[in-house]
Amino acid sequence: MAESTITIVSFVLTLMVFSYLLGDLPLIGNLYRAAVYIFVGMTAAFTLIVSYEGLILPYLQDIQDQSTSWTALGWRADITIFGAALLFGLLLLLKPVKSLTWLTNSVFAVVIVVGASVGVVGALNGTLFPLLYATVALPEDLTGNFNALLDTLLIFVGTMTGLYYFQYQVRARSDGSEEQSRLGRGFRHIGKAFLVTALGAIYASTLLTSLTILTERIGFLFQFGA
Amino acid sequence: MGRGQRYGIALSAFVAFAVGAVMTLSLLLGDNPALFGDQPGSAQLAGLLALPADVLLRLVTIVVALSILIGIANLLYVHVGRLARGKAYSAIVLASFGFTVYWYVMRPGDTSLLEAVQVPIESALAALLCLSLLHGGSRVLGKRADIWGLLFVAVVVLVLLASLPLAELAPIQAWRDWLMRVPVSAGARALLLGIALGTVVTGVRALLGQDRSFRG
Repeated sequence: MAESTITIVSFVLTLMVFSYLLGDLPLIGNLYRAAVYIFVGMTAAFTLIVSYEGLILPYLQDIQDQSTSWTALGWRADITIFGAALLFGLLLLLKPVKSLTWLTNSVFAVVIVVGASVGVVGALNGTLFPLLYATVALPEDLTGNFNALLDTLLIFVGTMTGLYYFQYQVRARSDGSEEQSRLGRGFRHIGKAFLVTALGAIYASTLLTSLTILTERIGFLFQFGA
Repeated sequence: MGRGQRYGIALSAFVAFAVGAVMTLSLLLGDNPALFGDQPGSAQLAGLLALPADVLLRLVTIVVALSILIGIANLLYVHVGRLARGKAYSAIVLASFGFTVYWYVMRPGDTSLLEAVQVPIESALAALLCLSLLHGGSRVLGKRADIWGLLFVAVVVLVLLASLPLAELAPIQAWRDWLMRVPVSAGARALLLGIALGTVVTGVRALLGQDRSFRG
């Protein structure tokens, strides 16, 4: 596609998306929806292409090549795995058949449980243990560095009280209101302050990122007009 | 519910539990010879233990890829149905889908369609996010004018001000750096740890068969 065509199409589509700001006016309101529907169709097509090119095609090529193997079990096992996966894929198509739903559900069970296992082990090894270690571990050189010690202490207090804030188990009074100790309430307030600070910083960073993109798009529109 | 269906549900639960137990043990114990000390053959044992996870991951990756294809086929089927009922927008989805696939088949490796259509729409939608964020933020703060709202606004203003490239704002930039390094880092760690704990609890519930979302 020629460079000028790309620029013209980009310009028109950007205007179509920005027409959202003009509200639900006749004709103009339809432009935004049309752009979103184009986006949906193209995203589905690109997803199909990437799934085929990035996953299914390499696997198909691998099982034809006897010199490569995915696992230590050898090339024949690869064919069995691929065949089983194809069978599972076919079983997914049986979902509308009421009497055979249990077969489809067994495939879903395997997929969900494998995902859950990867999630549990990933959360433990990738997030929970490293973050806990980083929070409780003292920096190596703290001699005479009062500020670094204070920062480390603040991070520890912020992380622990922030976690405490997520505790929803409180004793209920007879009138239905919640009963919590003054100390517990204090911890929750400290944790909330740290969480609000973090959320404010995340919000500001997201705002800055989208503002940068908005500036770039407006710059593109003016550049095209000039 | 018939007897066959009950057996089917029991089988699904059993398959889930068995596969989950094998997968988790394989992921935790596999490929980690240090767990078995300096014994001869510990590397082979660790490799052997990693095998079930390897096989199951390959299997599930292909199944997920196939389910994506089934999902896309379902999307097209739904839009064909909508088009038959006179919904004109579905024609746009089908046309853009068909044109993209045709473009890919006819001109493999050519990314100009991506540059001309996908990137501008994504960028423009991301740019609109800025206005939506401002609008949403102002509405929330209008409804909650308390100490937490004030703290939130103060942090947002500080981070935004510090992002300006002005030498006069150097003290604010130093404040922002400290804020990011200490309180924001602590709050983000608490959030991440909360998410990780939630993931572990949800995952273990699925592995133990307490949460049977696959029953559909």
